[in-house]
Amino acid sequence: MKTKHLRAIGLLIVTGIFILAWVFPIFWSVLNSLKNEQDVLAYPPKLFFEPTLAAYRSVLFGPQSILPNLWSSFVISAGTTILTMAIAIPAAYALARLRVPGSRWAGFYVLATQMLPPVGIIIPYFLILRNIGWMDTYQGIILIYLSFSLPFAIWLMVSYFEDIPFEMEEAAAVDGASRLTTLRRIILPQVQGGIAVTIVFVFLNAWNEFLFAVVLSGNTVRPVTIAMFNFVSVEQTLWTQLAAVSVIAMLPVVILGILAQKHIVKGLTVGAVKGGGRR
Amino acid sequence: MKFITDRRRFLAGAAAGVGALALPAYVRRASAQDADLSPYEAANIDWKQATGQEITVAVIPAAYFDNLAAITPQFEALTGITVRYEKIPPAQIRQKCVLDFTSGTGTYATHAADPMYYNLYHSNGWVEALDPFIEDTAKTDVEWLALDDIVPAWREANSVDGALLGLPYDGEVTLQVMRKDLYEAKGLKPAATLDEFVSNAAALHDPDNRVWGAALRGVAGAGQNVYIYSSLFRAFGGEWFDNGELVVNGPEAEAALTWYVDTMKAYAPAAAQNWNWPDIADAFSQGTIATYVDAHSSASVINNPEKSTVVGKIAYERWPEGPSGKRVSSIWNWGMPINAALSDEAKTATWLFIQWAASAETQARTSYRFDGPAKRSGVNRLSLWRDPEYVKTVSAFGDNFVEATLASLENDTDVDWRPRAPQWPAIGDTLATAIQSALAGQATVKDALDNAQTRIAPMMR
Repeated sequence: MKTKHLRAIGLLIVTGIFILAWVFPIFWSVLNSLKNEQDVLAYPPKLFFEPTLAAYRSVLFGPQSILPNLWSSFVISAGTTILTMAIAIPAAYALARLRVPGSRWAGFYVLATQMLPPVGIIIPYFLILRNIGWMDTYQGIILIYLSFSLPFAIWLMVSYFEDIPFEMEEAAAVDGASRLTTLRRIILPQVQGGIAVTIVFVFLNAWNEFLFAVVLSGNTVRPVTIAMFNFVSVEQTLWTQLAAVSVIAMLPVVILGILAQKHIVKGLTVGAVKGGGRR
Repeated sequence: MKFITDRRRFLAGAAAGVGALALPAYVRRASAQDADLSPYEAANIDWKQATGQEITVAVIPAAYFDNLAAITPQFEALTGITVRYEKIPPAQIRQKCVLDFTSGTGTYATHAADPMYYNLYHSNGWVEALDPFIEDTAKTDVEWLALDDIVPAWREANSVDGALLGLPYDGEVTLQVMRKDLYEAKGLKPAATLDEFVSNAAALHDPDNRVWGAALRGVAGAGQNVYIYSSLFRAFGGEWFDNGELVVNGPEAEAALTWYVDTMKAYAPAAAQNWNWPDIADAFSQGTIATYVDAHSSASVINNPEKSTVVGKIAYERWPEGPSGKRVSSIWNWGMPINAALSDEAKTATWLFIQWAASAETQARTSYRFDGPAKRSGVNRLSLWRDPEYVKTVSAFGDNFVEATLASLENDTDVDWRPRAPQWPAIGDTLATAIQSALAGQATVKDALDNAQTRIAPMMR
């Protein structure tokens, strides 16, 4: 009994340390976003201070308002996610289930596109978008984001589809269901968790993307990750405003994560407990 | 059901939060201030000659460009040209503009250009020489523009083979910045030489009480540690080119880098080897640095009462003299070139914009006459530094600010501060890495410089 307690306490401490390491930067950003410029730089660092919303007010309603940038980020991320999922689900299902010649190679090819260092392809992408006149447009950036979110989503979804026992489809087929009906009625509800996980990852990647966005965006389409960088101005770093933008930019993803949490946990354990239907 | 109540509570909370943020309402500054156009109309040119053109201007996030953008409606009213600004962080603006140039589509009519890039631009024919525009009486009223009044060294820094490629809009000199109160307490004088700079730092160095003797930018970068190193190298008598060959590992280089490394090691906070100028200004404004050498433009940051605890305790002096007897300030300025890929009409529109931005009137309207909190200290005209009204505004930055800045602009600004070559971006990065390895103690000064020389030599072929 006693050792059990000790173990629990030990586990708690270890967990606590890990959580602290992850939570601290976020906690510190939130704290800094509520300080004034002087308190941010104070030494020793201040834990107690008079909080102010000045930084939030200025980044939301000031001359450098990030509201249009949040909208840009949302359109890009939502657009990328919807298109990715619309293509990735059927593609992944096909790769997992259909015996098409070359499907193994197709799977590998999809993965291989992920191996290219992004910096290497940024200039070709720039030139392509430039030539088709899609620079600084939503469709341009979404198209480029699809090129790396799609392989990732397909690859992830294939593993979820492969975990579903074949027998379920066979049973549906016996009952006279077409492949499409089977996919819609039987398979998709089974991989809900996987879909949620994939959506979260795809959305998160698009939301946080910086490297491509900085080159391919302009004044019309400017995601929040780029706008945020301008708070590191040439003369000074506007710490409180930078922290406030980070906190605001974090929120949508955090909310999405919370909403999808139930599915994520389920999704992550799929396959871990079942034998899987791989043949 | 629970979810719904939670969600309602959440939405109510969020709405209340947003409401709180909106109070008190932010009042947007009127953008077209002082909208009297007659000082511009005094120029003997037709400002309307490119009416209807639209140009995009890439700038960096900085108060001096914000001020320019704020009064740009005046330019639009004057000329009928529409200006769009795109704000791009300094590291990315170079990359994006080079990409724009290579694809030749002329997205950015002009941009805030790094003076070290003109050689690259020129050798590729990416930008227009400005002289034909200046000499064209239909496009330029030479007397009105008063080109000679614009800091000569900056104009020279923006020229390649005698052709002016970018007109300076804003710039800086490198100054010694000091804590007057600490200096007075110890009876110290501003350093006249690099040796005195070190002895002052030693006298003021008191890390136990959180005061470090000195700090210099240390973080790797062509505009970071190389910025300081180049001044030192020249002050130690270094010449970048020896019979047309770039040599970075000569005896002067070694002496300069040794001074840099030793001073940083002995008197700067350990973290300073990763600091850039905003970090130094932040530390100084918290009272932890006794003296530093950096851009005079940081004066506005260390004098910001919302941030700084040392307002009223600051004094300035020119760069200390090196063993060669030279004081060497940077030639840094943000100039504006004309993109060669534009149509003739758009080039004219761009030139009118550049001329407007660099004019004495616009320089005054974006600096001491600007109706906002940020007053520029990097104006491009010597006459402004002698204008009592302007001097009144900037002398609030501290003792000797105006005198030291003007003396540096006129005497210390060294055109060959850094090696001017089309390969600069790569040379600068290589030097930065070498300096960093020496500062961090990963390599001896000699090894670091020899290594840089080995890597730079093939670039120059």
